[in-house]
Amino acid sequence: MRIEELFDRRRFIILDGGMGTQLQQCGLQPGQLPELAAFTMPRTLEAIHRDYAAAGADVLLANTFGINEKKLEGSGYRVEQAVAASVACARRAAAPSGALVALDIGPLGELLQPAGSLSFAEACRRFSVVVRAGAAAGADLIVIETMTDLYELKAALLAAKENSSLPVLASMSFESRGRTFTGCTVESFGITAAGLGAAAVGINCSLGPAEILPFAKRLCRVVPAGVPVFVKPNAGLPNPDGSYDLDAEGFAAAMQAYAASGVSIVGGCCGTTPGYIRRLKETFAPLVPAQKIPVRASRLCSPVRCVEVGGVTVVGERINPTGKKRLQQALREGDSAYACAQAVAQAEAGAELLDVNAGLPGIDEAATLERLVQQIQAVTDLPLQLDSTDPAALERALRVYNGKPVVNSVNGEQKSLDTILPLCKKYGAAVVGLTLDEHGIPPTAEGRLAIARRIAAAADAAGIPREDVYIDCLTLTVSAEQDAAAETLRALALCKRELGVRTVLGVSNISFGLPCRGYMNTAFLTLAMQAGLDLAIMNPNTPEMMAAVRAYRVLTGQDARCAAYVEAYAGQQLQTVAVASAAQGQPAAPAQGGDALAEAIRRGLKAEAGAAAAEALKTRAPLDLVNGSLIPALDAVGDGFEKGTLFLPQLLQAAAAAQAAFEAVKNAIAATAQGDAPARGRIVLATVKGDIHDIGKNIVRVILENYGYDVTDLGRDVAPETVVEAVRRTGAPLVGLSALMTTTVPSMEATIAALRAAGLPCRIMVGGAVLTPSYAEKIGADFYAKDAKASADIAKQVFAER
Amino acid sequence: MEIAYRPADRRLVLRYLGAAGWAPDAATAVLLDKAEALVRQAATPRGIWRPLPLAALDLQAAGGDLARHLQGCRSLVYMAATLGTGVDALLRRLEVTDIALCAAADATASAAIEPVCDAVEADARARVQAQGNFMTGRYSPGYGDCPLDLQAELCRALDTPRGIGLTVTPQKLLVPRKSVTAILGVADHPVAGARAGCAHCLLRETCAYRKRGTTCAN
Repeated sequence: MRIEELFDRRRFIILDGGMGTQLQQCGLQPGQLPELAAFTMPRTLEAIHRDYAAAGADVLLANTFGINEKKLEGSGYRVEQAVAASVACARRAAAPSGALVALDIGPLGELLQPAGSLSFAEACRRFSVVVRAGAAAGADLIVIETMTDLYELKAALLAAKENSSLPVLASMSFESRGRTFTGCTVESFGITAAGLGAAAVGINCSLGPAEILPFAKRLCRVVPAGVPVFVKPNAGLPNPDGSYDLDAEGFAAAMQAYAASGVSIVGGCCGTTPGYIRRLKETFAPLVPAQKIPVRASRLCSPVRCVEVGGVTVVGERINPTGKKRLQQALREGDSAYACAQAVAQAEAGAELLDVNAGLPGIDEAATLERLVQQIQAVTDLPLQLDSTDPAALERALRVYNGKPVVNSVNGEQKSLDTILPLCKKYGAAVVGLTLDEHGIPPTAEGRLAIARRIAAAADAAGIPREDVYIDCLTLTVSAEQDAAAETLRALALCKRELGVRTVLGVSNISFGLPCRGYMNTAFLTLAMQAGLDLAIMNPNTPEMMAAVRAYRVLTGQDARCAAYVEAYAGQQLQTVAVASAAQGQPAAPAQGGDALAEAIRRGLKAEAGAAAAEALKTRAPLDLVNGSLIPALDAVGDGFEKGTLFLPQLLQAAAAAQAAFEAVKNAIAATAQGDAPARGRIVLATVKGDIHDIGKNIVRVILENYGYDVTDLGRDVAPETVVEAVRRTGAPLVGLSALMTTTVPSMEATIAALRAAGLPCRIMVGGAVLTPSYAEKIGADFYAKDAKASADIAKQVFAER
Repeated sequence: MEIAYRPADRRLVLRYLGAAGWAPDAATAVLLDKAEALVRQAATPRGIWRPLPLAALDLQAAGGDLARHLQGCRSLVYMAATLGTGVDALLRRLEVTDIALCAAADATASAAIEPVCDAVEADARARVQAQGNFMTGRYSPGYGDCPLDLQAELCRALDTPRGIGLTVTPQKLLVPRKSVTAILGVADHPVAGARAGCAHCLLRETCAYRKRGTTCAN
């Protein structure tokens, strides 16, 4: 058959059925690699393919599902050999009927970072090897299937698109709850895969025809018209003995429901045999696929959350270093933890998307944006808005983003459109277009509409659908140009009406230079929502702005029965001004002659500790507060822990409270021109290469930070050379390494050896469940820290000696 | 198979937090309740088991402690259980916001995997008993002198990536992190299995239980 027939939806295309289960039935032994069947049982393999072709399969999936470098390690075969033999075997079987032969690509068997330790780039590389081998072997198309991690699917899709010109079919496996094992939704899969250029998307394995049907229908709704949908279900659900509950007849009968669903390509997965495919062919041969009617909508997603932008949507603006000294400092030091905490805080405050910007003079924006995207998507499931005008930074961020993001931004300049829109197209991103160009911002709404029209036309030409174009009519500072606010709002309404685009505004710009900016922002936001604003880039931590959004949704009928509004505000009381000033940030009542801050820390009260510190900072110098109250309080708790009168949960709650106090101290210092925090010295921490258990290291970090040390936390799964580089760069006199498992202690030893070999004059402390003092000595560490308190004692000793 | 979430045993949670036997103060009780609610919300417990012939396991490589555990058995059951990737994501989030809650949730999740294992084991045991056989308790890679390398073999034999979304890193760590693999022995007569004991335990030098004159088994 011709490859075009797969996509023209004139008739039902039949895929083949199960391969693994067939091989087992034909004598594959447990422990034998099914990937090598083309060598170990070539006649059997070819016979299975031939039976599927004879049964009516239009496409045969070559037996390459599990082939990758790792899987073949030690087998004596290289990927190229195994792929070539497998594709050739399928091709021989396909010859009589002219069936197409697909390179079949399954999961690598390891989870990607941040869940596992496999990097996205390495996953891409491994898939690329398979793709190139398949293309060289003469496959007609590529089928990526049984994926459960959207990130891995993206790696495979990119590898396929970048290393071949073959059409790619992409399929994931869903559980009965409508999510994959890693929580990916049907919608997130569909829009991400289609955006990355999959020629068709599908669902396979894990469930039977009846269970997959509702998910297939959802998939049909979210993928564009030109992208067919396919299914390859199991032969029903598994019985306790490992067999499946549908026979060929039952399978074909259950599959009949797909005729009207919009699906146009069908096949079988585990438990199905050539007999099943024959009945499937007989059932679908006389039928014509029903029309597939996509519901066009503006969607953005992370794996577990698909956001439909159908009204005002809050975009958190806080991860942008412009004017934010704390974030600037953190980014300069290569520390992502502060940005991550901001991400989580904005999510908890009600943000639905997060803007991420790393534009700061003097740092490598591309590298920083890439790292921020990776770190932030590890701690929040909100879709991201990648904020840069540098194509290099955008490409790196787009590549590692897991899902469908929105790029912020292009503008009306030809150069901007020419460089950035193709990136958005390649990576399936939506795009924000600013209504300005080389001549600046047009003063009138009509002028901005003209630029928006140009941007929309360029997006059309680049193949970006109109629903993925968001126009920013630009908020100007009202204290500088008072008439501009009304013009911006008029432009917004005009663009939306004339062009059918979505709209976006950076709301907070309006109030620059004015006092009580929240009031002005809220009023402007309310007017903008009424004018048709879709994405409100704002600070979700400003209660009155979030209140305006929630109230607006009630007043415009989007929040049915005021449910979300009530949920957000039930039990809260608005305070009058007089009460508010007294009640806000009330520090814990100081004990007689005591110290409110010390007391709050001792009792592990976060909010109170933060408030007490802020209060105390009005009269005391930051350093005095740290040395006079914070540290002594921590020491007291630490002593109690050491003596066994206090337990770890109490120590940690005290640490969290001290952290809140330290936040207040750092903010106070950042607010003054003095710059740096009162640092006692620099310590580098890392959980060693291969180890992903880092709760212990994180506890140590918090405790050390509490004591005022500047901690460079390199995270988990850190390569020895990264530790060496960080110690060299920071000049840290003390390094802390953790490893939890016996299998990762060798990497701790390697890291210590690398630090010594580099001739760095640092001392090294180690800790972790399986370490002992004698083992620590054996691998060349200077100190063994049995717990977080011990690490603080070691730090004290090391820095006292200096 | 999908398994209903059951709350973590509070005593076990406290033990994992280094506070065995302690009656938590009010603030800690609130903290643990919060951790329990978060873990419950994030968890998607799944389990899988499969009968295998004794020959499937290389007893030489698996260590003497496991061999003792399987003494008198003529076949095996492999099992695996996981709380899913949602719990890992939760812990990553808490790690940057609240270390106390993070540690509490981590310990809660470690404890909450136990009832999941119990459910998988019960399912296997029912089938084994229906066939008139008997089964030992669970024995996991990493106990005694049994190497962690065995994780990869168990996961391969059970096809855990496809069955329950459980994978092994090159360093033989399980991902999602809150997961367990185990081996059980099947015999035609009652078998109790044997605990790994302290002899080969990696922690014998630093073990807090041994210092107090007890073991982690009681």
